[in-house]
Amino acid sequence: MGEGEERTAKAAEELVQSNAFGELLARATQNVMGLTKIGFDLMDLTVRNLRLAGKPDITRLAAQLARTEDKLERVLQEVERLQSEVAAGARQSGNSRDNGGAGGGRRSAKARSTNARGSRSTNGRSGARSKS
Amino acid sequence: MNPVAQLARTPAAAIEWLNILLTTDDAEIGVTPKDVVWTHRRTTLYRYRSDQRTQPVPVLLVFALINRPHIFDLAKQNSFVEFLLDEGYDVFLLDWGEPGDEDADLGLDDYVCDALPWGIRETLLAAEEDEVTLLGWCIGGTLCAMHAALTPDSPARNLALLTTPIDTDGSLYAKWIRRDSFDAEQITDTYGSIPGPSIDFANKLMKPVTNYWSTYRQLWEGVLGGKDPRASYQPMAKWVADNPPFPARAFREWVTWMYKDNRLVDGRLRLRGERVDLSRIEQNLLVVTAGADHIAPPPGTRPLLDLVSSGDVTHFDRPGGHIGLMAGSKAREEIWPDIVEWLDGRSDR
Repeated sequence: MGEGEERTAKAAEELVQSNAFGELLARATQNVMGLTKIGFDLMDLTVRNLRLAGKPDITRLAAQLARTEDKLERVLQEVERLQSEVAAGARQSGNSRDNGGAGGGRRSAKARSTNARGSRSTNGRSGARSKS
Repeated sequence: MNPVAQLARTPAAAIEWLNILLTTDDAEIGVTPKDVVWTHRRTTLYRYRSDQRTQPVPVLLVFALINRPHIFDLAKQNSFVEFLLDEGYDVFLLDWGEPGDEDADLGLDDYVCDALPWGIRETLLAAEEDEVTLLGWCIGGTLCAMHAALTPDSPARNLALLTTPIDTDGSLYAKWIRRDSFDAEQITDTYGSIPGPSIDFANKLMKPVTNYWSTYRQLWEGVLGGKDPRASYQPMAKWVADNPPFPARAFREWVTWMYKDNRLVDGRLRLRGERVDLSRIEQNLLVVTAGADHIAPPPGTRPLLDLVSSGDVTHFDRPGGHIGLMAGSKAREEIWPDIVEWLDGRSDR
């Protein structure tokens, strides 16, 4: 970096660290946001008056889908938890029969995975292989 | 090079320079083969393929909500992922994807209390292990720290946080944001997800001459000097220009809670009603700071070292920038081996 460039870079960094620049940036952001919002509102009004679905309508639908996916994920996790509990119970009773004593122990991810994997086929879960 | 030869070379160099700039998008980044393990909304958990896994505890990489996580796997011979795989680690990556306007309702709590623990859960299932190492970078590190603070029974055994903002007092972002005229709500009312390029613009504005002039000037000098800087320039330039949107609620919360109010370091940040108390972090902790980091300056990360309850705390403070430290040309020699050495002693069964 040449001396001139170095000095310019330092001066520019001092400038952006000043309060005045911060204030200018904040005000400019406000103005840009204000104008953008007016633009978005105008476009949406036009599209809606043409009896077409506007961006907010499509966003609302997509948000509903996303919320459904959230719920589905929670249900899947609950199902997997119950499956692993059943499997652990079955193993424990099997051990009791075999050994005549208490078995089981800590429910590990290994045990859970053995059980849960077979049922995983939805929600983009395992099975999808992609080289990216 | 004498002036005449330099003048004669200028037209060819100009075409080459322009070609490098215009074909930056063609650079291949994030090429290490990987499989999709789990997806949820825009989030994807990847597992990198390897036939040399020897370390039992898998490593889950968590990147920021700005820029893409390909920086972990930038290019062949410059890939932290590849380095970890060669060292025998089972490497997973949580990619937050590209949020759309429908994800405007995603807040920090959704990332910290849902997506991250779910990603950890799926990592453990896929690796068939009970513990994991969380390796977070930038905001990703903050999310990991919040998760560890909120989840005393987290399966995270190790926490490695790279250039992570914790205390924002004195940072340039705070200077810009911590004023009444900066209205985060006005921004999030306008955009459902904040356009990535606008965040990139703000980041670059912190060092305007370096980002908008010196980078291109250095490239020009390299080309004019007869070097071929394509391989070193393009992957990083492509990564820098790839800016996913930031979900509106998460943006508002990040900006307000972290920068306007500086709540995390003071223990005043609450997610889903629960206080994020960093003193509840008990994991083995590695904190990496970069001396020339202007985005997460070291003084903003160091307070974490005194706040946590971990019995095993290590701090690497190295020269370098926010990204350059881990993805620069010297990273392979100067920082990756140290991180792996730290992990080695803490990843046995």
